[in-house]
Amino acid sequence: MLLGASIVSGLAIGAMYGLLALGYHVTWVVSRSVNFAQGSVMMLGAVLAFALTVGLGWPMPAALLVALAGCAAFGVVLERVAVRPFRARGSDSWLMATVAAGMLVENAALFLFGKEPRGMPSSLAAAPLTLFGVGVLPLQIVILVTGIGLALVFVAATRGTPYGKALLAVVQNPRAAQLMGIDAARVTVFAYALSSALAGLAGVLIAPLYSVSADMGFVFGIKGFAAAILGGLENPWGVVLAGLLLGLAEALTTAFAGSAATVMASFGLVILALYLRPHGLFGRASVRKV
Amino acid sequence: MSRFLPRLAAVAALLALPAAAGAAEPIPVGLVAALSGQSAVSGEAITRGLTIAIDEINAAGGVLGRPLVLIRRDDESNPGKGVAAARELIYRDHVAAFFGGIDTPVSIALVPLANKEKTPFLGVWAAGTGITRNGASPNFVFRVSAVDALVDERLLRYAATVAKAQHPGLMLINNPWGESNHKGLDAAAKAAGMSLAGAESFEVGDADMIPQLTRLKGAGADAIILVGNAAPAAVVIRSLDRMGWSVPVISHWGISGGRFPELAGPSAEKVAFVQTYSFFKSAPKSEQVLAALEKTYPTIKGPEDVIAPVGTANAYDAMHLLALAIAKAGSTDGPAIQAALEALPPYDGLIKRYAPAFTATNHDALGADDYIMVHFAGGRIVPVE
Amino acid sequence: MARAWRAPAGALLLALAAGALAFRLDSYQAFVLGEVGVTAIIGIGLNVLIGLSGQMSIGHVAFQAVGAYAVALVTSASPALFWPALVLGTLLSALIGGLLAFPAVRLSGPYLAMITIAAAFVIEHGIIGWKGLTGGASGIANVAEMPLPWPYQGGASAQALAAVILAIAAALFGAYAWFRTSRTGLALVAVRGSETAAASVGLDPVALKCLAFALSAGLAGLAGGLFAPLAGFISPETFPLSASILYVLAVMMGGAGATLGPLYGALVVVVLPEMLAGLAEYRLLFVGGLLLIVLLITPDGIAGTLERGVRRWRRAPACQPPAPRLDLTAFLGDQAACPGAPALEAVGLAIGFGGLRAVENLSFIAAAGAVTALIGPNGAGKSTALNLLSGFYRADRGSIRLAGRLVADPAARHLARSGLARGFQTVLLFDALSAAENVLVALHGSGERSRGAAERAMQLLRCVGFEGDPTAPAAGLAQRERRQVEIARALALRPRVLLLDEPAAGLTVAERAPLGELIRSIAAAGVAVVLVEHDLKLVMGLSDHVVVLDQGRVIAQGGPEAVQANPAVRVAYLGGAAAPAAERPPAAASGAETMLNVVGLTAGYGAAAVVRDVSFDVRAGEMLAILGANGAGKSTLLAAMVGLKRPQAGSVELAGAALSGLSAAAIAARGLVLVPEGRQVFPELSVLDNLRLGAFARRAWPEDAELEGVFARFPRLRERARQRAGLLSGGEQQMLAIARGLLARPRVLLLDEPSLGLAPQVAERLFADLARLAAEGLTMVLVDQMASLALTVANRGIVLENGRIVRSGEAAVLAADSALASAYLGGAVPGSEALVL
Repeated sequence: MLLGASIVSGLAIGAMYGLLALGYHVTWVVSRSVNFAQGSVMMLGAVLAFALTVGLGWPMPAALLVALAGCAAFGVVLERVAVRPFRARGSDSWLMATVAAGMLVENAALFLFGKEPRGMPSSLAAAPLTLFGVGVLPLQIVILVTGIGLALVFVAATRGTPYGKALLAVVQNPRAAQLMGIDAARVTVFAYALSSALAGLAGVLIAPLYSVSADMGFVFGIKGFAAAILGGLENPWGVVLAGLLLGLAEALTTAFAGSAATVMASFGLVILALYLRPHGLFGRASVRKV
Repeated sequence: MSRFLPRLAAVAALLALPAAAGAAEPIPVGLVAALSGQSAVSGEAITRGLTIAIDEINAAGGVLGRPLVLIRRDDESNPGKGVAAARELIYRDHVAAFFGGIDTPVSIALVPLANKEKTPFLGVWAAGTGITRNGASPNFVFRVSAVDALVDERLLRYAATVAKAQHPGLMLINNPWGESNHKGLDAAAKAAGMSLAGAESFEVGDADMIPQLTRLKGAGADAIILVGNAAPAAVVIRSLDRMGWSVPVISHWGISGGRFPELAGPSAEKVAFVQTYSFFKSAPKSEQVLAALEKTYPTIKGPEDVIAPVGTANAYDAMHLLALAIAKAGSTDGPAIQAALEALPPYDGLIKRYAPAFTATNHDALGADDYIMVHFAGGRIVPVE
Repeated sequence: MARAWRAPAGALLLALAAGALAFRLDSYQAFVLGEVGVTAIIGIGLNVLIGLSGQMSIGHVAFQAVGAYAVALVTSASPALFWPALVLGTLLSALIGGLLAFPAVRLSGPYLAMITIAAAFVIEHGIIGWKGLTGGASGIANVAEMPLPWPYQGGASAQALAAVILAIAAALFGAYAWFRTSRTGLALVAVRGSETAAASVGLDPVALKCLAFALSAGLAGLAGGLFAPLAGFISPETFPLSASILYVLAVMMGGAGATLGPLYGALVVVVLPEMLAGLAEYRLLFVGGLLLIVLLITPDGIAGTLERGVRRWRRAPACQPPAPRLDLTAFLGDQAACPGAPALEAVGLAIGFGGLRAVENLSFIAAAGAVTALIGPNGAGKSTALNLLSGFYRADRGSIRLAGRLVADPAARHLARSGLARGFQTVLLFDALSAAENVLVALHGSGERSRGAAERAMQLLRCVGFEGDPTAPAAGLAQRERRQVEIARALALRPRVLLLDEPAAGLTVAERAPLGELIRSIAAAGVAVVLVEHDLKLVMGLSDHVVVLDQGRVIAQGGPEAVQANPAVRVAYLGGAAAPAAERPPAAASGAETMLNVVGLTAGYGAAAVVRDVSFDVRAGEMLAILGANGAGKSTLLAAMVGLKRPQAGSVELAGAALSGLSAAAIAARGLVLVPEGRQVFPELSVLDNLRLGAFARRAWPEDAELEGVFARFPRLRERARQRAGLLSGGEQQMLAIARGLLARPRVLLLDEPSLGLAPQVAERLFADLARLAAEGLTMVLVDQMASLALTVANRGIVLENGRIVRSGEAAVLAADSALASAYLGGAVPGSEALVL
C-alpha cells in the first residue's frame, strides 16, 4: 500500500520534472544555454490558462493553445533580450540575464495576477480512479503519458528526421551549419519557443493538482533542472527518466524515511550521481580530441 | 553607462518626492513584511488592514493633529533584509513605531533592534512565542495576533473532545512556523496526556502529500493537525481525497483565506480550523470595515474575496491601538508610546473588546479565549457547533 | 613591480577612507555599507572561482551560512572567542568547499552549477534538521556583538563593525590583485584556458580547481562570520538560494576576473535594492529590470566599461628594450643528455578505439640531439602516437622509457615534469594570458621560482623568433606567432624530449624555412625532437630518423633516404598505383550561361576592407581557381560570397538571381555551397549524419545509393560511418567536409583550402576527383595553397593581392608564369610535392 501509493505519486510528480527537464534539454542541445527562468515560464503558462478559463470562461483546449503560444512568444522575446546578446559576445551572462528575466516575470505576475494562490478547476482532477488499490487522478496519468510521449517524439525527431539532426548540428558548429542551409539564429529561437511552450504545458498540467500562483514555478524550475542534469542534458530519454527517478526518490524517501530526509536525500542523490557519472546518468562525454 | 545614469537619477528623484510633505508634519509608521515572494499575500493583507485604519484615523483629523503615513518595506521573508529595512525605517524615516509581518524569524531578528532603539514594534501576524516574551525590560514589542503555544493547545483540545482523537498525526509546513508549532504541539500533547502518531513536514512546492499521509495513516493517526498556508494545505486535503482516507482534519489559521474551498475542493468544508476573526461575522464594525475594504480595493466584492482576513483584521486593530497610544502619550517619542501602550483604556476593536489590550506583563492582545473553531460551509466561514 | 603595489596601496587608502566614513554614518547606512563589504568579500572569493578558474557556483550562500553559524554558535558560548570562531568558520567552509569540489571539478557548465545548488540545499536542510545544534528553522537569536580590539571595551557598534568589514574587504582586494598574477593565479587561468595544454606543462587541473573552490568557499565563510554579528540574528532563511544568485550576479556584473569587479557588483546588488526600497512590493520588479539593463549595457562588466573609459586618457605604454638572446643550451642545462643517447623509447605501444586498432606495436627510439619524424598517410595514427607518448592517451599495451628509465605513471602532467614537452596540432595556448605569461606558467611548472622568470620568458620568446606583443592576450595572435609561443612554452619546461604535431600547418612556404631552422637549433641544444608533419620536403630535409606509420603500424624506419627508397612506403602513400593524373576538364563552352557573377565585392572587419572591389564571373561547368598569398583575402572573399560575412559593397548573383541580403543559410539553400577551411564537421554527430546533413541545404535526406557514391570516393569514411565525426583524424575530417559539400548537390561549389591537412597523395587524388566532378558539369571555385595543383585542374584563375585582383586569365597561362608563382603563390613549383617521394 505504502509502496504502491509512493510509486504512483512519485511517477506523477516525476513526469512533471521530466517535462520541465525536456525544456532545458531542448535549448541546451541547440544553443548550449539554458533558460533559468524556466520555472517562471511554467508559472506563466498556468497563469495564462487560469486567466483564460476562469477569468474569461474560455474552453480549456482553446485556453491551452493560447497559453502555450503565449509562453512560446515569451521564449522568443527572452532569447532575443536575455540570451542572444550575451551568446553573441561569447559571454556566460545569459545565465544571470535569464535569472533576472525570471525575477521580472515573477514579480510582474504578482501584480497582474495577484498574490493569492488560486485553484484551477479540471474535470481530469475531480474524481480519482483506483489503480492497484491506489487512488490516481486521470490528470496524473495524462501527465505521465505526455512526458514519456514527448520524450519519444523528441528521440524520433532527432534520430530520424533531417530537421532534428539540423537542430543538433547548430551548436556543434554554427558556421558549418549555416553553410548546410541551417539558419542557426532561427533554430535557436525555435528551441527557446519550444522549450518555453513545454514549460507552459507543464504549468497548465500541474495547476489543477496544485494551485496557480506567481511563485509556483521556483521550486519546480529547480527540480526540473536537477532532473535535466541528473539525466544528462544531451539525452531526451535520459532527462525524462531522471525526472521520474527524482520523483520516485522523493516519494519513496518521504514514505520510508520520513519527510525530514526528503530534500537532503533527493539532492544528495544528485550529488552522488554526478560524482559517479559527471555527465549525468544517461549522458556521455563529448568528444575531446587532443 | 550613458543611458543608465539618467535612469538612476530619475528613480532617485522619484524616491525623494515623498520627503517633500505638506503643512502638518505627518507621523510616519512603518511596516516590515513580506511584500514579494511566497508570503506576499500576507504583506498585502496587513497593508490593507493598516491602510483602512489609517484612512479612518486621518479622516477623523489624525493623531495629535497630524496625519499618519505608512512607510512599507519588503523583507523578502529574509531576517537579514528585515533588519536592514527596520534600520532604515528607524534611522532614516524616524518612524514612531513599526509593524511586523508573517515571518517569525524576521520578527525575532527585529526584537533586539526595537528594544535597543526604543521604538515600539507591533506584531500583527507572526505567532512565535518568543517574540513578545523576549525577556527585555522595558519591552517594546507588542502583538495583536495569535500565539502558537496557545493555538496549539486549542487545536489538540478540539481534536480530543470534538473529533474524539487519541493519536493525532501532524502535517507541518517545513518552515519556522511549522517548526514552532511542532514544539508547541509536542508540549501541548504532553500536557494533555495525548500521544502523537507522528509528525510529517511538507514543502511549499510539494504537489502530492500522499507519501507523508500514508506514513501517518500507517502509524495509526486518527486525526490530522494541519499547519500550513492555503495552497499546500489544499494539496493535503486533495491527497486525502485521493487516498480515500476519511479522517478529521484540524487546521491552524493558515487556510483562513476565502479561497480555500476553491483550492481544496468540496472536502474543504470538513476541515475545522482556528480563527481569531472572520469577515463573515455579521456585526456593525465588521460590515463597516468590509465596506471600506470594498471601496478601497475594488477586487473585493464580498467577505470571500478578503485575502488572509486575520492579517487584515489584526493590522486594523493594531493600528487603532497604536493611534490611541500616541494620542495618550501626547508625543511620538518611543518610550512614551511604549508606556501608553501598556496602559491603554478599554477599546472596542474589530476582533473584540480589548479591556485592556496590553499590560506591563502581557504584551499579547489576543488570548486563548479569543480563538474560535470554524469551518467553511457554502462558501462562508461559520463556527463549528 | 611598481604596478603590483598599486592595487594593495589603493585598497589600503580605500579602507582608511571607508573606515573613517563608516563612523560618520547612521546605523542604517553603516549596516548597508557592512552588507556591501560582506557581499564584496564573497565576490572576491567567487572572482577567484569564476574569474580565474572559470568554474561556477550557485551555492556559495551555503558556505556563508556555515561561517555565520560557526561564529554565532561559538560566540554564544563565549563572545570573546569571536576571532578564533571567524577563523574556524573560514576553515570549515573551505574544507567543505574543497570536499565538494572534488566531484565538482570533473564537471563543467550547468553540471557544476547543479551540484553547487544541490549542495546548498543539502547544507540548508542539514542546518534545519540539526535542531539541537543550530536551532533548526527558528535560527539563532541575539548573536553576540563583535568584541572591539584592545584598547577598546565591549561590543562593536554597527559603524565599527562596518569599518572592520570594509578594512578586511580592502585587504582582500589587495590580496586578490597580488594573487591574480601570482604563480597559482596564472596557473588557474591557464587551466581555465585549456586543461589539455595545462597538463602538458605539468599543471594539475584537479588540484588547482579544488584549491580555487576551497579558497572561494573559505572567503564566503569569512564573510558569513562577519555577517552574523552585523545581522544579530541568523536562520536558514537569512541565506536563501536567491542570495547565491545575487553574488554570482555581482561578480559577473562587476566584471569577472577584474580586481575591483566584485566591489562594483556589490555596490549594485546591495545599494540598488536599498535605493529602491521605497517601491515596496514593486522593488524586485525594478531590481530585475535594472539588473538586466546593467548586464546588457556593460558586456564585460562594470570594471571593463570603466577601464575602457580610463584607457582613453592613458598614454600608450613605453616601448620595452628587447630582451637579450638566450643561450638555449645553457638554459636547458643538465637536462640535455649527450647527443645520440636514447632520450625517448617507445616499446610495443598499442591502443584501440572501439574495435579500431589506432596504433599497434609501435616501437622506436628518439635520440637526444636528433630530429625524429613520424610520417604516414592520413589516419595512419601519427597524432594518436604522439598522444600516447605524451600521456594524453593511456596505452592498452607497451611502455615508454624516458632517458632510459621506465615511466611508471604515464600521465601527461607527470611526463611534462620529467622533461617531455609537446605542441598540439591545433595550437593550444592559454588565450586569456599574454604570450609572456603563457611561457611564464610553464617556467613555473619547471620549477623556476626566481625573480628573473619574467625576463626569462621574454628571452625564450625571442629565442623562437617571436616578434609580436608579448603582453597582449594570446587569443589575438596570428597563427605563426601562436605556433612560436607554443614552442617557447614547451621549451620553458627545459625538456629532454619535444614532440611537435604538424608545426608547419597553416604556415606559408616562406614561413616554413625559419621553422625548420628553429627545430634544428632546438635539436642542436641536445633535445630529442619528435616531429609529425605532412610537409615531406620539410621532414626529409630536417630529420635524422624517419618512422613511417600506416594503419597504426610501423612499416619502415631509418634515415630519410632509406625511407624514401622503401617500396612499402611508396605503396602506403600511393595506394599501390600512381594516383590518376589530374586532368583539366574541357573548358566550358563560351556560350554557357553565367552561373556566378560577382560585381564590386568589398568586405572586411570593421573599417578595414580585406577584400576590395572584386569582380569576376564563373560560367556553368567551369572551375575557377582563386590564388594569392596568405592574408590576400581569399577566405574573406568566399565568406562574403556565401553570406557568412556581410559585404560592405557589391553584389553576388547566382544564375542571374541576386543573393544580396540573404542569410548564409538561405544562400546555401539556393545552391551556392561552401566547403569551409579547416575541420568544420559536427563533432558529436556520426559521420553518416554529417553526410546526411549535407543534403539539408536542399531539404532532402540522401538515399543509400548517393551515400554509396560518396563512400566509393572516400573509402575511409565508409569504415568510420558510425563513429562520431569528432573522433576522426584531421585529414579524415577534411574529407568528410568535402563529401558533405558534394551531397548538397550544389549549383556552384566553393572549396576553401580542401587539401589542407591531407597527405600529398590524398590531395592529388582529391584534385583528380574535383577534375572529374568538373567534367561532369559541376561549377566550382577553388582556393588552395597548392597553387600549382589547383591550376592543373582549373580552367581559369584569378590572383588576389591585398584584397584586389591583380591578375586573371587561363589557368595554363598563369601556371606557366614562374614570376607569378614565386611572387604570389609562395614559390611552389608544379609537382614539387610529388618530387619528394
